[in-house]
Amino acid sequence: MTTATESLVGASTDFLKRFSPFDQMETEALDYLSERVLLGYFSKGATILSAEMGQPRYFYIIQRGKVQASQSGDVALTEYASMTLGPGECFPIGAISAGRPSTNTYMALEDSFCFQLPADDFITLMRISPVFQVFCTQYIASLLSQSRQQLQNTFSQRAAEQQTMTTPLSELIKRDPISVTPETSTRNALEKMDELHIGCMVVADADARPVGILTQGDLLSRIVLPAFDLNRPISDVMTPSPQVLPMTATAYDAALEMATHARRHLLVVDSDDKLRGVVSERDLFSLQRIGLRQIRASIESADDIESLRHASRDIRQLALNLIAQGIGAEQLTRFISALNDALTRRIITLELGRHELFGVQFCWLAFGSEGRHEQTLSTDQDNGIIFSAPEGEREATKQKLLAFAKDANDALAACGFPLCKGNIMASNPELCLTLEEWKRRFGAWIREPDPQALLNASIFFDFRVLFGSEKIGDQLRRWLLETARGNSTFLRMMAHNALAVAPPLGRFRDFVVEDDGMIDLKKSGARLFVDVARILSLRSGVEASSTVGRLRQSGQRANMAEEELNAITDGFHFIQLLRLRSQHLDTEHDAPGDNKVDPDTLNELDRRILKEAFRQARKLQLRLKLDYQL
Amino acid sequence: MTWLSRLIPGAHPPAQLTPEVRARLDAWRKLPATALDRQHVETRYVVVNTEASGLDLSKDRLLSVAAMAIENGLINPKLALYQSLEPDPADALTGLLEFIGSSPIVVFNAAFNKRVLLNAMERVLDVEPELHSVDLYWLLPGLFAERSQGASKLTEWMNALRIETFQRHHALGDGYAIAQLFLATQARARILGHATAQALIELEHARERLNRPL
Repeated sequence: MTTATESLVGASTDFLKRFSPFDQMETEALDYLSERVLLGYFSKGATILSAEMGQPRYFYIIQRGKVQASQSGDVALTEYASMTLGPGECFPIGAISAGRPSTNTYMALEDSFCFQLPADDFITLMRISPVFQVFCTQYIASLLSQSRQQLQNTFSQRAAEQQTMTTPLSELIKRDPISVTPETSTRNALEKMDELHIGCMVVADADARPVGILTQGDLLSRIVLPAFDLNRPISDVMTPSPQVLPMTATAYDAALEMATHARRHLLVVDSDDKLRGVVSERDLFSLQRIGLRQIRASIESADDIESLRHASRDIRQLALNLIAQGIGAEQLTRFISALNDALTRRIITLELGRHELFGVQFCWLAFGSEGRHEQTLSTDQDNGIIFSAPEGEREATKQKLLAFAKDANDALAACGFPLCKGNIMASNPELCLTLEEWKRRFGAWIREPDPQALLNASIFFDFRVLFGSEKIGDQLRRWLLETARGNSTFLRMMAHNALAVAPPLGRFRDFVVEDDGMIDLKKSGARLFVDVARILSLRSGVEASSTVGRLRQSGQRANMAEEELNAITDGFHFIQLLRLRSQHLDTEHDAPGDNKVDPDTLNELDRRILKEAFRQARKLQLRLKLDYQL
Repeated sequence: MTWLSRLIPGAHPPAQLTPEVRARLDAWRKLPATALDRQHVETRYVVVNTEASGLDLSKDRLLSVAAMAIENGLINPKLALYQSLEPDPADALTGLLEFIGSSPIVVFNAAFNKRVLLNAMERVLDVEPELHSVDLYWLLPGLFAERSQGASKLTEWMNALRIETFQRHHALGDGYAIAQLFLATQARARILGHATAQALIELEHARERLNRPL
């Protein structure tokens, strides 16, 4: 190196050292970077990089000035997806490491200088510098959560607005307006309110123009306590000049108005200012809970399997509507899980009514994805029973329980939860056991972790009490955690198993697909997270049975950064969401297409997020690999 | 090399050049000319800056030279040169000529920087190379009129365009600042339609004539 080059490289090093991650970068790697960066200049308004330019040739580090990054493509996303980068910040990371065109457009917001590292050198730098590698991958994690947030914002706003909050008030008015004239005696007005079960009385003039309002909330302070003379006209006690909105105003306007003025009722008037109706807070509120509450109520009041079948179909339908509205996977699975739980409990309750099990101590367990609260729309039953009975009555009790379980299993199947092909069902005598028997079984798998034992562990260790005595379930859980924790061979074998499938990320292409061009989102997606989470929870004694709960709690115990955990769980949720989206209403459970996605049909943002989600899975696996030296 | 110098014996003592330096100079002379009508990104420019013992051309001596090539509109630290004239001025200046090749050079204040360089080349190498040059001293006020606020010195322009360097009053350090000014110059000139080296040279001459005291 000439002295001139040394001086210039030194200048670049001095600059880079002022910023993260370069300040922490290995000396050798920093030298490598400084020696190879070129300095370029971009006038205000110049496009530095865009999707149209194809694969980025350089990695840019802003030296001076400001650069705006904005999402290209879908116009709806644009406004949510722009950010400003300043000195020391870099771009594009995802695109250049994947060797694909940038999805962002980068524009100089002011005259800017950028250091430019040729793409090949960027890849080398990633390889030689662990610090830089971590920086790049964590940046991606934050990008994932950003993109997901944008996606959700857009979707949930759109969904909520379309479905509910942009509904014009004219459509929300349920009945013809009821009003009295200002001269009406207060007594008459109150009698009318009582008779019609309405929460407020509108006072309107002869032309039907509202001049005042009296609500139930006013009664105590204005009438009862002051002993108001009920023969006086209502105009003496009403709230004059009530809040009115036009028919064309939206539910959103109404909600805003109510929130601003702390009103529970709003009067809706036409273009002539004539009263057309009343909108209450409850009218707006119910908009947001349409469906969910109804289904829940119909499940809880169902007294035969037939009505539960309807409810089950409703759950599916509602789930699909919610998917269409873009609701997040976390809420979606939680809601599916809650409704399915309610449904299952109702079925069990109904079946209990037909079986003589009075006084029998037992609990109904859900295993697998149901045990993890992660049911998709295409999940078959996985359940079992723990019971306790005095020594002499054990066998008789068990027979009674099996008969009950058989009916319950069939009823569940009738309601859309297919019978388990592997016979993992409570009606299987092998799975209707006492606490001691369960412990012996779990213990055997842990002591001798052959492939079958490991497979069993991956299903049964995700158990959860769905009905009955939680206490028995808790005892089993605590015993399991203690036993597994102390057996490192078992955990190591589980880890080995969990690493058998790698995320389908391609070295050259974005994704590695199966022969049919599809990605199996269950086998090579969700399961990667689920398996690692199970091991982490067993190892650190976390009682949660959901994958996200396990990751969060065990991650916190292992001092993993909050953002890192968020990125991982976001990745998992996104894959779950894609699974749900790919499950169609019109196909039966376990249809061949379920859980599969053709990456070419995804839009750019989804592809990008899916890729980041897989990358999170890879990170998670890597952690396990390091922990167990596999 | 000027034929005139040869006609005035004694004006320049014949340079004592080694055969090796002569050969290098010959090779340099044979370099093909650079086209000046290409776009800036396709043109290799060389920023040249000097360090002298003072500012008086008649008595001060050139001490060191610095040069940086701008290719594809980018400053590349590998394409840089910094050389003291001592102990071997002929080698240093020949090295500079070789580095420049036939590229147009970029200087700040040619009246001094280019002159002191050419003087030294004539004295040491007995050549007066025809270097196409672009002088930011003249170009910047026209291109960045709204920012100039009467700027004329390098420091003032560095402040106006918020440019920094690692070491001031050093041939390479100032050269780095000039190189950055030139990147800005290229970008601005392109926007204003002065897309080639030729266009810059013409623009500069126009500015120079305009500002010449009558």
